Amino acid sequence: MNPAAFPVYLDYASTTPVDAGVAARMAEILLSQKEFGNPASVSHDYGDVANALVEEAREQVAAAVGSTAAQVIWTSGATEANNLALFGTVQYYRERGRHIITARTEHKAVLDPCRELERRGWAVTYLKPDGEGLLDPAQLAGALRKDTVLVSIMHVNNEIGVVQDIGAISSICRPHGAWLHVDAAQSVGKCPVDFANLGIDLMSLSAHKAYGPKGVGALVVSPRVHLSPLQFGGGQERAFRAGTVATHQVVGMGLAFKLASSMSSTETARIAQLQRRLWEGLTRIGGVLRNGSVAHAVPHLLNVSFDGVEGESLLAAVRPHLAVSTGSACTSSLAEPSYVLRALGRSDRLSEASLRFGLGRPTREGDIDAAVAIVSREVVRLRQIAGGYPKGWGAKLSNVPSAAPGRTAAP
Amino acid sequence: MIYNELTRRYFESPTHVGELSGAGVFSGEAGSRDQGVWVRFDLQAGTGTLLTARFLAFGCPHTIAIASWLASLAAGKPLDAALPESISDLRARFALPVEKMGRLLVIEDAWLAAATAAIDYRHCAPTSEGPLSSVNQD
Repeated sequence: MNPAAFPVYLDYASTTPVDAGVAARMAEILLSQKEFGNPASVSHDYGDVANALVEEAREQVAAAVGSTAAQVIWTSGATEANNLALFGTVQYYRERGRHIITARTEHKAVLDPCRELERRGWAVTYLKPDGEGLLDPAQLAGALRKDTVLVSIMHVNNEIGVVQDIGAISSICRPHGAWLHVDAAQSVGKCPVDFANLGIDLMSLSAHKAYGPKGVGALVVSPRVHLSPLQFGGGQERAFRAGTVATHQVVGMGLAFKLASSMSSTETARIAQLQRRLWEGLTRIGGVLRNGSVAHAVPHLLNVSFDGVEGESLLAAVRPHLAVSTGSACTSSLAEPSYVLRALGRSDRLSEASLRFGLGRPTREGDIDAAVAIVSREVVRLRQIAGGYPKGWGAKLSNVPSAAPGRTAAP
Repeated sequence: MIYNELTRRYFESPTHVGELSGAGVFSGEAGSRDQGVWVRFDLQAGTGTLLTARFLAFGCPHTIAIASWLASLAAGKPLDAALPESISDLRARFALPVEKMGRLLVIEDAWLAAATAAIDYRHCAPTSEGPLSSVNQD
């Protein structure tokens, strides 16, 4: 790749760059001769200094997600938090029952642990969302069994940005006595998160989706829930998660979450405008379909299928100019359509020929216009090679201006 | 997915895209868009040789590149029931992963459908050029 022409980055749902202020503070701690102590050391001031930093970060994370600091357990990321939540609870409550409920559109970090639990003898029900990606709470109510111990439903979907009604889901789980785990890795900074008021029992968080560092996350655990730990050796994090806490990492997460929640509402309004501009630009291509609910979604994600083009070619064509995710996971050299889009009822062809645009803090109008120009040009080109869309549209499409009229022409 | 230089070149700037019409043009297609790969060739045949070719393709970058490459080879090649380049040579030239061999077969089917139509026509329809004994000269 030519570094002079680094592609436009619109994949902020995958990861975000670390905020400069956050990175500076993390570097300061790494370079400090006073802040390097083991936060678990109680026998000297070095430990106390580090411990104070860790506890301040815990307060910051708790404040951003509506929990108390004591409920926050540091992990290496949302994947570990999901694993701890799932394996930890069902292991502890295995005598109460062995049934779990989740959804087909969950992240792999929930689905893969569920598959493993099925191999170990638990039963798992996978709820099917509607065509917009939304779960019907009534369907959940119908799926609950006497032996259901855990319900795991994500807050903001990582592929389509759809926001599930966690309040409604929790009000069904509570009276039944099933714990509710919520994967909120995508949520912070994109929409309000309120652990206590939504009635969540366990919640997974990630730092690097919110301009914090990779390698750190948290599981928020209500005091009513018990967990069997997955790793042993030191009793840190209320013995739920042994291992020395990485001071600079959790400080980075705390600062990033504080920043994200302070700028959430203005930033979300700005992103919503950019997302509208992106969608309006893409609709001018014709034959584009939006995946997922429009009303119940965060604006930071836009998932679009392009009819009349093949998925692998679509990605290969835009890839030199635009960093986005695609609806086809290339597990081998043959593409596999997105299971999330398939769960919404999209055909394999349309699931493959989709792009996920993730908008973020550094995104500006110029990035959106460039993305629209690149995608328009390549979709039109591929449709022409395929004989037009539908047949005869090729000529008409080539007359569509690649950038919106009256706006700055994008490269 | 990594593509070799030739695949990228013919995917990014394919030649011989489109359709042909007029005398001596024969079409063949194979595959389906629903299955993820569809190819069509239009071959224009002269006396025993191909004059030119055009292609249309719905498929992966390899499919588009190989179809374009084959169409670019057509001019001057003898009109016979074979690709202008063998399957194994094409596979090596475009570094086609083994999982994608099926797509190469769809391309071959489309080409052979067009070539066979041209050959059959020459056999069945006498023209002012007289009997086409040269058609299947190998």
